[in-house]
Amino acid sequence: MDADPLVDPLADPLAVELIGIHKRFPGVVANAGTELKVKRGSIHAVLGENGAGKSTLMNVLAGVYRPEAGEVRVLGARRVFASPSAALAAGVGMVHQEFRLVPTFTVAENVVLGAATRVLHMGTVEKQVADLAQRFSLDVDPQRQVWQLSMGERQRVEILKALWRAAEILILDEPTAVLTPQEADELGSIIRQMANDGRSVIFISHKLHEVKQYCDEATVLRGGKTVASSLKVEDLTSPQLAELMVGDATHTIRRPEPTQACATLLMVENLHALNNRKLPALRDVSLSVHEGEIVGIAGVAGNGQRELADVIAGLRNALSGSVRLFDRDITNASARQRFRAGLSYIPEDRVGVGLAVQLSITDNAILRSYRQHRRGPLIATDRAKAFCAEIVSAFKVRAGSLDQRIAELSGGNLQRLLVGRELTAEPSVIVASQPTRGLDVQGVTAIQELLIDARNRGLGVLLISEDLDELLAISDRILVMHGGRIAAQYVGVDANRSAIGLAMAGEPA
Amino acid sequence: MIRPLLVRREKPLPGGQPLAFVLGSSVALFLGAALLWVAGDDPTEVYQRMLSASFGDLEALSATINRAIPLALAGLAVAIAATMGLWNIGAEGQILFGATAAAWVAQIGNAWSGPLLIVAMLVGATFGGALWALGPAIAKAQIGVNEIITTLMLNEIAVRFVRYLINGPWKDPEGFGFVQAPALPDQSELPGLFERAHIGALVAVAVLAVVGLMVSRSSWGYELRIAGSSGATATYAGISLKRKTLAVLVLSGAVAGLAGGIELTGNATRLTETVSNGYGFAGIIVAALALMRPSGVALVAVLFGAVQVGGQSIKAIGVSDAVSTVLQALILFGVIAAGVLVAYRLELAKAKVHSL
Repeated sequence: MDADPLVDPLADPLAVELIGIHKRFPGVVANAGTELKVKRGSIHAVLGENGAGKSTLMNVLAGVYRPEAGEVRVLGARRVFASPSAALAAGVGMVHQEFRLVPTFTVAENVVLGAATRVLHMGTVEKQVADLAQRFSLDVDPQRQVWQLSMGERQRVEILKALWRAAEILILDEPTAVLTPQEADELGSIIRQMANDGRSVIFISHKLHEVKQYCDEATVLRGGKTVASSLKVEDLTSPQLAELMVGDATHTIRRPEPTQACATLLMVENLHALNNRKLPALRDVSLSVHEGEIVGIAGVAGNGQRELADVIAGLRNALSGSVRLFDRDITNASARQRFRAGLSYIPEDRVGVGLAVQLSITDNAILRSYRQHRRGPLIATDRAKAFCAEIVSAFKVRAGSLDQRIAELSGGNLQRLLVGRELTAEPSVIVASQPTRGLDVQGVTAIQELLIDARNRGLGVLLISEDLDELLAISDRILVMHGGRIAAQYVGVDANRSAIGLAMAGEPA
Repeated sequence: MIRPLLVRREKPLPGGQPLAFVLGSSVALFLGAALLWVAGDDPTEVYQRMLSASFGDLEALSATINRAIPLALAGLAVAIAATMGLWNIGAEGQILFGATAAAWVAQIGNAWSGPLLIVAMLVGATFGGALWALGPAIAKAQIGVNEIITTLMLNEIAVRFVRYLINGPWKDPEGFGFVQAPALPDQSELPGLFERAHIGALVAVAVLAVVGLMVSRSSWGYELRIAGSSGATATYAGISLKRKTLAVLVLSGAVAGLAGGIELTGNATRLTETVSNGYGFAGIIVAALALMRPSGVALVAVLFGAVQVGGQSIKAIGVSDAVSTVLQALILFGVIAAGVLVAYRLELAKAKVHSL
């Protein structure tokens, strides 16, 4: 269907219509026929778990990605965007999770950056920006430099950027993730004003109370498909939304036979810690992992899971509280001491933390054990290679040669190498952060089987995952993290999806 | 509209960096010839003269080798730091301060025997270079101050410091009014090998071999490469980034300082503020062309030594020695560009015009 010039854009009540969007990445189908309809002058929530395809869909609408199939209609006209600036010219502006601002530029300079086609008088621009800011209660001084601003203020600059470019449709990708609750409420009233002004706001979130509080309609995505379209938010309860988001409970759960839980291997008590922005990330977290047990940690990204794993592994300091391995207090032990004491760690960032991308397979395989492969001051290459070859064959890492850079390996092979290295050390506890994220089905199964196998051999596994299916399938117990706390605990048969979904959203039943 | 696009090759061209080097240098020589021709000189004559002055006989070869020594050591200094992703832009100052330290040792050990004095001066120079890098190393390791800035600025301070010494406390009383440092004792001159070449070449080769082996094969060098690839991975493996930063920058300074000591004992008669002669900056280019690998540094240093010696020789036929500087720059550009083409291929693509 071609663009119809005769359609009067004002006659169409829809600001955005996405029809049958397909978008595939190597090994992953992000959108499989996704649909979205957004009315003019409304705030529309797009809900879904991590990996449901929300961000991809929004990037399609904002001109960042081009879909393989499907149709994008904006203000009644069919569009094919070649770039984000083409989308902006058509009225679609997006505020990404990571702000794209120049810290040493002023607010006004950031607003015009990239949009100025001729010499501008900064005074005039500052006036325009101040007017816009006042009109939508976006309280920010146009003359201040961005590095001086709080995260909430920076977000307002991003919104101003879109408004100054006359965006009719504003996409906010998880806008409250970086905000304090007060700032989030202010944002809520800002977008309400924009909607009252006739603009449309697409609000991406997985926080149910925000959706209930700020939005008019909601579309729910799951596994790249639209499972519920343009629901009236006021007609829905949080449990209904949660159930739509995580799916029905009829899913078959493959749970390994519980082993006889005995000795406590890992004991975490009253742990407090800060995140990278020096804000509290862990508040009074206590948990334990026993012999032959997989303890799953569920939660929406950014609720303290990453910090928990880092504190346990010794990559982040605890403010207070303790971490014990067997009877040994390792709260202040170094990462290397913890590893020697029997604690292995599969970090969330495989490449960049767990593996060094520029180096060879062998160099990465001996990361934990290079001191044992020494001959005098030199590393015995033959012994290192033999050690690497064992991991590669035992864990079926497919590689051309052991000297190959790991950058040439696929995601699944990288993870096999990493998990293999950590398991070869014969640890007693293994902390695995998002161990299957981004892998294809085969890779996921292989890694899950390795973890179950480790558990059956008596290891304690702390499995941190955003994939609820995975947690339900292989955990013996599930703890839900929310706001830096353990919000709920479910054991075996008690675990049910909608209850966990609600706890993840901060509203335990 | 047609515009060029760089597309990554499935596999880089066989030959890799050596191929890029030959290609890039050839292009550089060709462009240099064109420039000479435009300037009204005969490129063949100029190139012939440069070649015979740098490789024509043993005497020429010895001059080239003597030049290559400080270039190789400065290149090695830069390459070691780069292994961990750090930029030592201060080799120039470290060479100069190393030479200053050696000159100081020579004043103390005026009456010592030759071998003892030479060893003491070279050790002093090594410590001097290390000391000059210590400040930036501590600032980087403890509070993350950008080492590029600090090492760069210390170059200027080293020059001013030597100027002060020569004009003040170290002013030669027998200088007949000339402002200069006192002459070095005769026994401080490095023993010769052949023609003008001296044993500094052997010292440099030994240092290159030992440090090269350390970086590529030792567990210390392994930790360095891990830290250079990803700081977070190093922390994960229990490697202290602070200690590594400190060690690698100080070692880098020490190697550059040694170059200053060899330069002073091998080629100079007294300390001057120009003893470092730009070797520290040229070392950055040498290291870059060697892809920051100690093994490649020696070869590139000999080539650059030859270009510099050749450049000096053509002044005799009335051609500016700036030709040498221009050629060095062209080689750098040429090899880097050729390096890109080894990994990428050029495609002419039609820019798509999308209607809104």
